[in-house]
Amino acid sequence: MRRVELAVVGAGPAGLSAAIEAARHGVEVVVFDENQRPGGQLFKQIHKFFGSKEHRARERGFRIGEDLLKEARELNVTVELETVVSGIYDGLELVVTKNDRVEHLRANAVVIATGASENMIPFPGWTLPGVIGAGAAQTMCNLHGVKPGKNILMVGSGNVGVVVGLQLIQAGCSLEAVIDASPRVGGYGVHAAKIARTGVPFHLRHTIKEVYGKDRVEGAVIVEVDEKWQPVPGSEKDLKVDTVCMAVGLSPMYQLSKIAGCETVEDPSRGGVVPICDEYGATTVPGIYVAGDVSGIEEASSAMIGGKIAGASAALKQGYLAQDVFEERYAAFRKSLEQLRQGQFGHGMKGKKITHTQEGIEVSESLLCRGFVDESEILRFPGIPSEEIRMRGLTPVIECTQNIPCDPCREACVKGCIRIGESITDLPSLSKEVQCTGCGMCVAACPGQAIFLLNQNYSDGEALVVLPYEFQPLPEAGDEGTACDRSGNPVGKAKVLKVQKAKTMDGTAVLSMIVPRELAMTARFFRPSGSEERRA
Amino acid sequence: MAESNRRKAPEGEYVPKADDDLLICRCEEVSQGDIRRALHQGLRTMNEIKRETRLGMGLCQGQTCTRIARAFIARELGVAPGEVGLPTPRTPARPVPMTVIARDGIMDEAAGEGI
Ligand SMILES: Cc1cc2nc3c(=O)[nH]c(=O)nc-3n(C[C@H](O)[C@H](O)[C@H](O)COP(=O)(O)OP(=O)(O)OC[C@H]3O[C@@H](n4cnc5c(N)ncnc54)[C@H](O)[C@@H]3O)c2cc1C
Ligand code: SF4
Ligand code: SF4
Repeated sequence: MRRVELAVVGAGPAGLSAAIEAARHGVEVVVFDENQRPGGQLFKQIHKFFGSKEHRARERGFRIGEDLLKEARELNVTVELETVVSGIYDGLELVVTKNDRVEHLRANAVVIATGASENMIPFPGWTLPGVIGAGAAQTMCNLHGVKPGKNILMVGSGNVGVVVGLQLIQAGCSLEAVIDASPRVGGYGVHAAKIARTGVPFHLRHTIKEVYGKDRVEGAVIVEVDEKWQPVPGSEKDLKVDTVCMAVGLSPMYQLSKIAGCETVEDPSRGGVVPICDEYGATTVPGIYVAGDVSGIEEASSAMIGGKIAGASAALKQGYLAQDVFEERYAAFRKSLEQLRQGQFGHGMKGKKITHTQEGIEVSESLLCRGFVDESEILRFPGIPSEEIRMRGLTPVIECTQNIPCDPCREACVKGCIRIGESITDLPSLSKEVQCTGCGMCVAACPGQAIFLLNQNYSDGEALVVLPYEFQPLPEAGDEGTACDRSGNPVGKAKVLKVQKAKTMDGTAVLSMIVPRELAMTARFFRPSGSEERRA
Repeated sequence: MAESNRRKAPEGEYVPKADDDLLICRCEEVSQGDIRRALHQGLRTMNEIKRETRLGMGLCQGQTCTRIARAFIARELGVAPGEVGLPTPRTPARPVPMTVIARDGIMDEAAGEGI
């Protein structure tokens, strides 16, 4: 029987990171994944990540995936694809199915990093073709280049719902609405705002009643729910959609760990049933570790750190790593993980109602209920310059209003215009002496696309608004179109002055448009003329 | 013993409900009515209901329906979802063609590898 020192199940960010960390210390590692391509969820994450530099913030997920693979290859990690680990028995014996063969192998240690599966909710019509998981929709458009449908309803306003929602729009689909039974948007406000300003309505306190159609989805009926989550009769709305994307949570794939004999526990804060593990990722079965979504739903950045911890633990156990070296590495991983878990979306914050930011500023109600910060609320946040500064010349306007672990904006500005306090979750603010050159780096770097530049005194009666733009076709200098407000409503005429593209901007174009001066704090999106108006 | 595991003999005939047709397990086409009938017969655990109805025994191996079914059963029995036990996951974690299982071992021996 084949023997390996470390077998890793799952080649997602957690599994690959575990493999890299263990291999770095000399452990011989084999990674198994059932897919044709390694990377797990990472390869469909085409957006820029949050966090700080050490978490590889402002890089796009798939690039991080490519780098992980390169690193793994350099360390001689074997990645066996289209290979299913179908069982693990006592004594760390793995049953592996590849092509049409079963192989049994024995490992000294195993890291289970099987990720999670998408939740569904049953309603009449939920089995009709056209009702799909949001993750599946993301795989279709970002990996296979196939649009899942034309007119889409997104069920769920968490990060998966709003991120995939934007990517569907980028792929050329029409996102008709985002609904959520909760009274508040679940995902990051900056993610929600990206789609709100394209005109997508958020229907909070709404659930899906039914989906109808003969052979496939032809429409969906949504209905309002009351405080007790009961449908309000008469509040039904009929949406003409051909696709319904379900983004209603993920469930850890604990099954393999259970087959292996690991004890499990039901923990709603981690997404459901998870294998019991300690802070090193060790389960109740000696030699078996878990990392990533399988040990609790979080995100890719924390999955990578969890993977490193599990990989280091497996190396320690086999004597490849001295205890003190391990302790040192572990402490660093832990610190990095804790940073990511801070803030108002962090650990233990799920379901908690937040009224004020860390800085004591009242949160934006409209962001939570409608997906964008209303103009009447934006002025109280520290990233917004006073009118006097806005009239003096070009200045950044940072519409980032929630305490999230993120700081690329500060890193991006070599002029030091942008500040973030001691904590990575502090709201970005403007330094006293803003000397903005208009380079646009902050605009492109911000994964929340929440930074704009503004010169309210561009010319007599006109203002210059600079915004991040990630849609095709890219407008060109001289193009005319419509300026839209944060909810996507057309508010006036706009003319494109220039469109900056640079390698360092990594695919985010920086578009400068001229608008009437009175729209300086209103206009936050550009719609080229000729493109269909969603909400006329 | 959890309340949800306490068995009761069926009281009279099963009375169909309007939403009995709604599917819970897509792979094996198990409906709410099928589960209600199983509960009516006195079955209580996910394992029992799985054996009776084939819930969760299809292509996705309960990946999608286990969560939905547990919530539904809990609602029917008036207990918390956590009180409905989990089905026991078994090897293979993913469906494997019969030919592969039939060949397991034989091929290796023929190739002189043994196991
Ligand atoms: C739609 C969507 C959007 C997301 N957006 C973001 C985001 O914007 N930012 C962010 O940080 N995070 C995001 N996440 C979360 C992030 O992708 C996950 O937290 C992360 O991928 C978890 O990593 P993982 O390695 O644990 O699991 P995965 O990436 O899921 O990898 C697990 C791998 O294991 C394989 N596998 C499972 N069982 C077996 C088996 N028995 N045999 C062989 N292989 C097996 C799977 O096929 C898969 O390839 C998103 C997730 C989804 C679903
Ligand atoms: S545009 Fe350039 S100079 Fe101005 S704030 Fe942004 S990064 Fe700094
Ligand atoms: S403004 Fe700064 S902290 Fe906020 S999302 Fe953008 S980069 Fe992150």
